[in-house]
Amino acid sequence: MKNRTSLPNLFLGFVTVLLYLPIVLVIVYSFNESKLSSVWAGFSLKWYRALFRDTALFEALGNSLILGLSASCAAAVIGTLGAFGFSRIKPRSRSLVETLSMLPIMIPEIILGMVFMVFFSLIGLPFGMTTLILAHTAFCVPYVYMMVKARLVGLDKSLYEAARDLGASEVRVFFDITLPLLAPAILSGMLLSFAMSFDDVIISIFVTGVTVNTLPIKIYTQIRTGISPEINALCTLMLAATILLVLAAWLVNRAGSRSKVVTEASSVSNL
Amino acid sequence: MKKTKRSRIWLTLVPLYVFTLIFVAGPLLYMIILSFETRAETWGVLHELTFKNYREIFQPAYLKTFGESLKLAFTSTLLVAALGYPFGYFMAKLSQKWKKRMLLLLMVPFWTSSLIRLYGWIIIFRANGVLDQLLLGVGVTDEPLKLLYTYPAVVVGMVYSLLQFMIFAVYSSAEKMDWTLVEAARDLGASPLKAFLTVTWKLTLPGLLSGVILTFIPSMGLFYIADILGGNKVVLVGSVIQEQLLKTRNWPFAAALSVVLMLLTTLMISLYKRITHTTELEGLL
Amino acid sequence: MKKTLALLLCLVLALALFAGCGEKAPADELNLFTWDGLIPQDVLDSFTKETGIKINYSSFDSNEAMLAKLEATKGGDYDLVVADDYIIETAIQEGLAYKLDKEKLPNYGNINPLFQGQYFDPEDAYSVPYGAGVQTILYDPEKVGFEIKSFDDLLDPSLKDSIGVSNNARVINGMSLIADGKSVNDEDPDAIEAAGRQVIEMAPNVRIIKENNMQEDIVSGEISVALTYTSEVTQACLAKPSLKVVYPTEGVGFGIMAQFIPSNAPHVDAAHAFMDYILRPEISKQCFEEVGYYSTNKAADALIEEAYRPFLTLPETLKMDQMDVMRNVSAESLDHHSRLWTEFRTACGQ
Repeated sequence: MKNRTSLPNLFLGFVTVLLYLPIVLVIVYSFNESKLSSVWAGFSLKWYRALFRDTALFEALGNSLILGLSASCAAAVIGTLGAFGFSRIKPRSRSLVETLSMLPIMIPEIILGMVFMVFFSLIGLPFGMTTLILAHTAFCVPYVYMMVKARLVGLDKSLYEAARDLGASEVRVFFDITLPLLAPAILSGMLLSFAMSFDDVIISIFVTGVTVNTLPIKIYTQIRTGISPEINALCTLMLAATILLVLAAWLVNRAGSRSKVVTEASSVSNL
Repeated sequence: MKKTKRSRIWLTLVPLYVFTLIFVAGPLLYMIILSFETRAETWGVLHELTFKNYREIFQPAYLKTFGESLKLAFTSTLLVAALGYPFGYFMAKLSQKWKKRMLLLLMVPFWTSSLIRLYGWIIIFRANGVLDQLLLGVGVTDEPLKLLYTYPAVVVGMVYSLLQFMIFAVYSSAEKMDWTLVEAARDLGASPLKAFLTVTWKLTLPGLLSGVILTFIPSMGLFYIADILGGNKVVLVGSVIQEQLLKTRNWPFAAALSVVLMLLTTLMISLYKRITHTTELEGLL
Repeated sequence: MKKTLALLLCLVLALALFAGCGEKAPADELNLFTWDGLIPQDVLDSFTKETGIKINYSSFDSNEAMLAKLEATKGGDYDLVVADDYIIETAIQEGLAYKLDKEKLPNYGNINPLFQGQYFDPEDAYSVPYGAGVQTILYDPEKVGFEIKSFDDLLDPSLKDSIGVSNNARVINGMSLIADGKSVNDEDPDAIEAAGRQVIEMAPNVRIIKENNMQEDIVSGEISVALTYTSEVTQACLAKPSLKVVYPTEGVGFGIMAQFIPSNAPHVDAAHAFMDYILRPEISKQCFEEVGYYSTNKAADALIEEAYRPFLTLPETLKMDQMDVMRNVSAESLDHHSRLWTEFRTACGQ
């Protein structure tokens, strides 16, 4: 590290600026007086005022939050138990089930969307929040599963054996020892799942029902039919919330918390 | 005693087995069956076995779509690799403090809606939009470029949406790399380039390949990018599937297209596993 | 720690259950399913205010997408659909439409009889028209160097990269079929192929293919020619009166939009109430003026403001019996159209 403004650093800076450019523009134009993004008509907060009156948009935001939470929580239960189980017993069907359960994040989303639409229609499940949660859980399980599996590999087996020797039951050991040790991995898996679910358009479009609009679906329709800067405003607010959360987590982490959630989540979260 | 212990652990696998079999294996199996069935004249499908759907894929119109879609995926992946590989590599060479900062910087775009970020590009590309005004102002061009709704706009959208996958795949493999190996090679008299090619390149290859898969596969399905940035003029396999499903209502054909796309995907992943001798994609963890 | 986690797990399960059950809709709701923005927000709001019925508005971007959803839900979930004639014919054939209870529609008599007894619902048992339109060519004379008269003029090389086309194979291939002197409903593979090839020839001139909101693109100058529907033509012309509308010399495709109630609609009464509400002359007027389709409500005609009148009634030069009404074609023809359309779109992106 002799010269600090070397070529690599310039490159890193340049690409980062490119990554942020569209976001910055969205923020800037959320304060635009005009509805059209091709003209700058002066500073205004009117889209923020309009945003707080738009109940449909908030409903969609609420749906997305419920969906993301339910799917990531369901995935946390299924994924954690599954990874734990496979770490202890290895039935012959293991590799098949493992491969199958990982498939949802390996194949293009469009295929998932298509199969869920035809499948739910086949079994006659009405389209709505239930179908959304089921479909989203399918692609959330792999994230939690993989996180937990990786953590289980590094886990000290002797702790578990010691507890068993001292007479603790299988269930007690799981809740007293294994689960607390796995917690950071589970949490980062859930964070990642939530982010993926919160941003999903492709699968949601196929499995959503009449009364349920998620935020990405709403934004997609709006972009296609003429976007209102209200969306810019909403995103600016969400962005502000995100930055605050990330910063808060980072500060907590720096203050010496035991949990490595943030760094782990950030090292993985771009998938 | 031993027996009860075993059966209890077995219980933890129940949710995963049940969910996977019903909601992953079930739908996929149905997709394969559906792809051999016949569309009904109006509503739904007839349970008549046919290969017609697969023959239809070989119609020049759809073959061409597959070709174009692959070409677009290839172009995007190449660009993503050209930007993402050096990015991930340089990032791994930063000091601990800056590494953390970069990770945080990359977190923010990730948590922002991908549609909104694409909308940012619409603002840039639109006729008389930000880019036009900039170029006209500087005097590079005399008239609006009409960049929105073009092939390059779609490529930019793809690269932009998928770049982070590559960065993280490469970063995680470069991060794990033993840098003393490079030093050793240098001590033994290798030029920086030679040291890179013989050591670094080999060790970061799994990351790069994983990044390639993580960008190539989704890029054939991201129909909404082709839709909003390409004005529906760039047709991906994903767009055709969506259209067959929602518009033409030929579900069996949509299923056949999905099966082919899935075979392609599986082929790429098994190739990756063969080359890198790993079972998991780098950067997913 | 243990307790917290256990609690979290319970919460998760409870939440999942809760979310699963939370879908039973209360009685005073109406699940409306139309194109985006087809019914003015003011009309929806005033209906809710008057009746207390909450409206869930969801939208589709093509008739076929609507039917696919309806098939998937077996005629349930949605209470009122507004869609195009030919798709309503299919919906009726498939038993996805509910037989209207005219007792509940006191304003039924306001409908212009010209738009009744159409092929898709000869007895008028299932549907109530919501508007009508033709497929036309709209262009900006300031940017187009010559007078566009027919579909064939669109192949002119001077129009390079400047045409906007609705993303609908049947409509655009149909315009081409009419230009060839055929019917939009022609099922002869050779005729469809020839028409489709002509459309593909147009590819270098095409700038956008989209479902809706084309008016914005022609007004903002992104495109200078649009092949589109009456409503977008009306909205564009109101925003920019210098635009010119062309009724192609070879003939015009015509369509009626109508409302119907899906066979297993959860709130049939609310749907009837809404239908009747829309049939009120002053409400109808509001809809036509905002959405820009030809008025199908006789009683509303007189109320329509002067500025809108030229756009909201059928041009006198067009006679009902001269127009080619789009109907359903066989699945094979539909697949053929779709294949040609994919080829066209791919050609446009080159």
